[in-house]
Amino acid sequence: MSSRSTRRILDRAFTGLGGFSTLLLAAALLVILVPILIKGFGAFVFRETVEHRRMLLDLYETGDRAAVETEVAAAAKAREPVYAMLGAFKKEVEALPAPERRKLKSDCKDLEKALNSLLGPAPGTTQPILLRQRYGQNRWDRAQVAIGKVLYEEAYDYSDSSQMGKKILVPRVERFRGTSLEPLFDYVRDQSKAMLLPRWIFYGGFLTHTSRDAHFFGGIRAEVLGTFYLTLGAMLFAVPMGVIAAIYLVEYARDNWLNSLIRSCVSTLAGVPSIVFGLFGLAFFINTIHVSGSKSVLAGSLTLGLLILPTLIRASEEALRAVPHTYKQAALSLGASPWKSITTVILPAALPGILTGIVISMGRAAGETAPIIFTAAVSVGQPLTLLKTLTQPTPALSWNIYNLCTEHEAVDEIRHVQYGMVFTLVLLVLLLNLSAIVIRARLSRKLRV
Amino acid sequence: MNADVPGNRPQHGLQLSKRARRLRRLGSLAGQGFLLLITSLSSLAVLFIFIFIAKDAIPFFTLRGFAEFFTSTRWYPSSQPPEFGVLSIFFGSGIVTLGAIIVSVPLGISAAVCLSDVLPFHLRQMVKPVIEMLAAIPSVAYGFFALVVLAPMMQEKGGSVLAVLAWCIGAPAAVLVVLVLSEVLSGGMPVRFRGAGRYGVGAALLGLAGWGLWRASAFLNAIVIPSGTNALNASVILGIMALPTVVSVSEDALQAAGRDLRMASYALGATRAETILRVVIPAAISGITSAVILGIMRAIGETMVVWMASGNAAQIPTPWFDFLQPVRTLTATIAGDMGEADHVTGSARYHVLFAMALCLLAFSFACNLASEMVVRRTKRRAG
Repeated sequence: MSSRSTRRILDRAFTGLGGFSTLLLAAALLVILVPILIKGFGAFVFRETVEHRRMLLDLYETGDRAAVETEVAAAAKAREPVYAMLGAFKKEVEALPAPERRKLKSDCKDLEKALNSLLGPAPGTTQPILLRQRYGQNRWDRAQVAIGKVLYEEAYDYSDSSQMGKKILVPRVERFRGTSLEPLFDYVRDQSKAMLLPRWIFYGGFLTHTSRDAHFFGGIRAEVLGTFYLTLGAMLFAVPMGVIAAIYLVEYARDNWLNSLIRSCVSTLAGVPSIVFGLFGLAFFINTIHVSGSKSVLAGSLTLGLLILPTLIRASEEALRAVPHTYKQAALSLGASPWKSITTVILPAALPGILTGIVISMGRAAGETAPIIFTAAVSVGQPLTLLKTLTQPTPALSWNIYNLCTEHEAVDEIRHVQYGMVFTLVLLVLLLNLSAIVIRARLSRKLRV
Repeated sequence: MNADVPGNRPQHGLQLSKRARRLRRLGSLAGQGFLLLITSLSSLAVLFIFIFIAKDAIPFFTLRGFAEFFTSTRWYPSSQPPEFGVLSIFFGSGIVTLGAIIVSVPLGISAAVCLSDVLPFHLRQMVKPVIEMLAAIPSVAYGFFALVVLAPMMQEKGGSVLAVLAWCIGAPAAVLVVLVLSEVLSGGMPVRFRGAGRYGVGAALLGLAGWGLWRASAFLNAIVIPSGTNALNASVILGIMALPTVVSVSEDALQAAGRDLRMASYALGATRAETILRVVIPAAISGITSAVILGIMRAIGETMVVWMASGNAAQIPTPWFDFLQPVRTLTATIAGDMGEADHVTGSARYHVLFAMALCLLAFSFACNLASEMVVRRTKRRAG
C-alpha cells in the first residue's frame, strides 16, 4: 500500500487538487468580472446614432449645434422616402374594399409603431408627451434590434401539437405584398445607416449627466453622487470612532472582563447580517431618534458607518499592533507622555496600515445595498446638494442596480445603463482595493529598509 | 513620566510641581475615560441592535403567538386574513446556505491548503489579489450577474449548462482519482507486472470514469430548468461569495500551525500530502471549523444575491433537495416586504419582519459564539 511510488503519486495528485481548486477560484472571478467589464464598457463607448446627438443637444446642451443640425437634416433626407411610401400607401388603402382596408390599416399601424421606435416620431406629427417617445434609438446596437422589429414580427408556431408554441420570426413584408409599401422594407434594411448615421463615441457624460425619463436618456450623476455622499458620511462617522477604539484597545485596555466583553461585542457586530443593520437603522435612527423625517442620506450614512465600524477597528488594531514595541519605548524614554508618544510616534507609523483599512471599508460602504434600502435609497431622484443630504433620500449606485434590473418597466431596453452602473461600482471598489494593495506594498518596503 | 524619577531633581528643571502633576494625571485619566467611552459606544451598538430589533419583534409574537411562525409553511402576509407561516422561508435560507457550503467549503479549504503549503511564494502573491477581488466585489454586482447573466443562461440552455459544469469539475477530478486508484490497485500485483498493470488498470478506470461522466452529463443535459432564478443559482453565487472568507480564515489557521510541525513531519519521512493531511490539518482544525462557520454566516446573512437570484417563492420544494426550484429566504423577505409593510407600521405584517431579523441575529450570534468557543477550546488544549 505504501510503496514509494504510490506515495509519490498520491502526493502529486494532492498537489494537483490544490492547483485545480485555485484555478477554479480564478476562473470564477473571470467568469463574473469579464461580462460586467466588457458590457459595462459599452455604456461609455458605443456607436451613437444621430438621435443620440439630437437628444444630447436638446436635453444637456452638449455638442456642436450647427454640426448636429446638418446631420439631422441629412438623416431626415434619407428618411424622406420612408414617409413618402407610407403616405402613398395610406392613399392607396382608402380605395380598397372595407375588410381588406381595415386589415391593412391595422397592419400599417403596427409598422408605424415599430418605425417610431426606430426613428422617432414622424415629421409633422405632434410632439409626444413621454420623453422616451420623442427620440428614435440612441444606440446603434439597440437600433439594430428595432430594425429587426420593423422587418420581422414575432409569431408562434403551433404545428407540433405535442410541444409548446415555438417563437418564430415572420417577415413583415408578407403582409404588404403588392402594395406600395413593399419596397420600404428593403429600403429600411439597406439605408439604416444613412437614416441614423451611427458613429463611435466615448460618452463621458454617462457619469456626469442626470438621467432623464427614468434612465432612458442620460447618465447616472445622481447615483454616483448619492454613493459618494453615503460613503463619505459613513467614513466621517466611522473613521474617528474606529481609530479611537483601536487605540484604546491596543494601548490602554488591560486584560479584564470589560475589555474582553468589548472585544466580543465588536466581533458580534462584525457578524450581524447587513439587512439587520438596515432594519436597525429604520427602527433606531429614523423611528426612534428621528435624525430625519423619513429616509435620508444622514440616516443611511450612520447605518453604513455602524456596518463598517468592526472592519475599521480590526484593521486599525492590527496596524497599531504591528508597530514595533521599541518605537514606543524610545518615545517614552525621551520623556514623551503616553498620549504624546501615541500621536507623534505610533499613529504615524501605523498610518499606512490604518489607511489600508479605511480604503477597504470605503469600498465596502460604497457597495453595500441592504443597509440603505430602508434608510436612504430611493429609485428616482435628483442629485442632491450637500445641505439637503441631512433630510433627503438619494438614489445610489448599489440600490439602483437592483432597482433597474428588477423593477424598471423596460428592463431590456436599458441593459446598457444597468451594466454601466455595475461597471462603475465594481471599478470604483476594485480601484479602492488596488490602492489599498499599493499602500500595503509601500509599507512593507518601508519596514524592510 | 521620566520627569518624576527622583534622581534627576532640581538641576534639570524637569520636575513638575505637585499641582501640575495632579492635573496631568487627571488629564490622562479623563483622556482614557474618553477613549473608553468611544470604544464602549461602538460596542454598545450591538446591544442597541439587539434591543431595537427585539422591541419591534415582540409585538408580533404577542399578536400572533409562536406556533404559526415556526411551524406553518403558509406565507400569505397580504391576504385576508393574513398568514405568517415562516417555516418554508427558514427552509429556503437553510437550503441556499447548504448549497453555498457545498460549493465553497471543499473548494475553499483545498485552495487554502494550496496557498499555504503548495504554491511557491511568487504564485501565492498572484493568487492573493484574486481572493481579495472576489471579497471586494459588491454583493449587488454578484446579484446582477446571477440575475442578468446566469439566470437566462440556465433557463435557455437548461441542462447543457449543468453538463458543461459537470465536465469542467468532474473531468480533472476523475483524472486525479484514476491516477490514485490505479496506483493503489496495481500496488498489490507482482513486481514484474506492476508497470503494465498500472497502465492497464489506469486505462480501464479512465474508460469507466469517462463513461460515467458521459452518462451523468447526458442525464444532466436532459434536465429542463423551468426558471433561471432558483436555489441552485443563488447557492452557486453565494458559494463564490463565501469563498474568500473560507479561504482566508482557513489559510491563516494553516499558517498558524507553524513551520516546526511541518519540518518535524518531513524529517520523519512523510510526503507533503501526508504532512498536510495527517499533521497540519488536524493541528489547524479549529481554525478551519471557524472558517466554515464564518462562511455559513456570510451566506445566511447575504441579502441582495438571494433576493435577485433565488426566485422568491415561499415554498418547500418536493423533493426537498430539488435545487432547481425557486425558494425564498429570510433576508430577501425582509428586504422585499418592508416596502409594502412600511406604511402599515404597527401591524403584524410589519413586526413579522423584525421577528425574522431577530432569528437571523440570534443565529449569527450563536455562530459567533460557537466559533469563538471552538478556537478557545483548542487553544486551551494546545496550551
